Amino acid sequence: MHPSKSIIFFTVFSGTGYGILICLSFLAFLTNINFDSNFKLNLIIATFVFISSGLLSSTLHLGHPERAWRSFSQWKSSWLSREGLAAVITFLPLMIFYLLWYLDNFFYIYFLHLTSILCLITIYCTGQMYATLKTIPAWNNKLVTPIYTINAICMGALTAYCFTRFYEFEINYLYHLTIVSLSLCLFMKLVYWYIISKKIISTANSATGLGGNNNISLFEGPHTGKNFLTTEMINKIKKEKANFLRLCFSVLTCILPIYMIIQEPSLIIDSFILKLTFFLVLIFALIGMLLERYLFFIQAKHTVSLYYGENKV
Amino acid sequence: MTTLPTKQNKKLGLVIDLDICVGCHACAVNCKEWNTSGHSSPLHDIDPYGDDPTGVWFNRIHTFEVESEINGSKTVHFPKSCLHCSDAPCVTVCPTGASYKREEDGIVLVNPDTCIGCKLCSWSCPYGAREYDEEAGIMKKCTLCVDKIYNENIPEADRVPACVSTCPAGARSFGDLGDENSEIFKLVKERNGYDLMPEQDCAPTNKYLPPREKNNQFSSNKLQSITEEKEITFDSWKEIIENASK
Repeated sequence: MHPSKSIIFFTVFSGTGYGILICLSFLAFLTNINFDSNFKLNLIIATFVFISSGLLSSTLHLGHPERAWRSFSQWKSSWLSREGLAAVITFLPLMIFYLLWYLDNFFYIYFLHLTSILCLITIYCTGQMYATLKTIPAWNNKLVTPIYTINAICMGALTAYCFTRFYEFEINYLYHLTIVSLSLCLFMKLVYWYIISKKIISTANSATGLGGNNNISLFEGPHTGKNFLTTEMINKIKKEKANFLRLCFSVLTCILPIYMIIQEPSLIIDSFILKLTFFLVLIFALIGMLLERYLFFIQAKHTVSLYYGENKV
Repeated sequence: MTTLPTKQNKKLGLVIDLDICVGCHACAVNCKEWNTSGHSSPLHDIDPYGDDPTGVWFNRIHTFEVESEINGSKTVHFPKSCLHCSDAPCVTVCPTGASYKREEDGIVLVNPDTCIGCKLCSWSCPYGAREYDEEAGIMKKCTLCVDKIYNENIPEADRVPACVSTCPAGARSFGDLGDENSEIFKLVKERNGYDLMPEQDCAPTNKYLPPREKNNQFSSNKLQSITEEKEITFDSWKEIIENASK
């Protein structure tokens, strides 16, 4: 599948924003999250920028972004419609939470939990949109939606953790949450990569119906050039390159941050180095996550490629 | 609405006879010709006279080589357009309701005024029936020539899809596949017409008729390779010629 930049940016950035809120809501059960107002303001701005820049970016791949509002109508049948609706509804309790949290009003906690449930619903809808596409075996997979969720949570936890380093602030349990979620993310991706390497749904024989055991090969394509189907749905990446990018993701997004978080005591001697380190950790983790999303698209084969020379999908 | 109709009065569709099709591409050309001035007009082309032309086509003809133990090798021309599925996934994924299936005849259409161009329908179609129009920013697809088959301004005999009326070999038939008494339904039954990718559960309306088995003295003889090497390079040809001249 064609890795559309706007969709990749959307899932990574909105996901991170949602992830921070989900982590805050989780931490609220364990500890007091009524931080000092300066730190709160930073988190408010960060989550808002992450979420809204991602959502705006997602409309860029549309042929008619000005008609995007129409997509709220078909929530009964379409996961994309549900996703759009959930994303917009989330803003309502989110704004109230921002206000109450900043003003130290105790009721912020209810709006935080409500927001985080809606964030989870939005991520779930995004995941389901891909997971219900039977035409793409790599996506039609029970792990796709959980991976969308864990991606958001681990990136949210890591971003929040890096923020506590920038502003020299402590949040109890965030250390553990970050390490556990990053490890879980890596583990789930490894399982996912193993599963998609085995799965086959359709073959050139079933696509053409020309005999069960016959050897079928494309003799001539419908035309000599490219078309929408070949550019949008038939994209290839060399296995060596893909494996290298998988390694980059594993190191940049999961292994490096976990290592730096554990090694942190040795950095504390210089506050500038500490801040710089965690700034770079966050940037690298985001780059790693963008690579992972890129692979999610480019490595997914669509059944239409069976009509363009592929034998099995 | 993007939910599928609960009942279908008719199932209009095509039956394509792979035994007859000669791969002349006339159906694809006439499809483009009719539809570029019809319901989905215009079907944009990008860089049409340049080095790398692309464009929207509703019908494309693929050619496959089929090697079988019994029948030997044969070439099969394979026209492919929208199959107007009964369980069309492209309809239910649409977030705006622009993609719909008509209750009266089962034709799947796109409303060009409400399509936002998210391309999700094209992802959900296993057959690659939908093509995005880059210039118009909306998705387009085979309309089964909805503006031709009901058109009272043209002679009754011409009220069939453009691909059907133009086929010089008669490989394409059009009719109601939901009516057990229709000629086209009987044809499918008689020739064991089949669905493409049944495992995708789309219940396509269009059917394909398999090429007939050709049992003659030539069909079972597989062509023999004159060289044992799989890849023929310039050097291997030189060797063959040298061996032959000895």
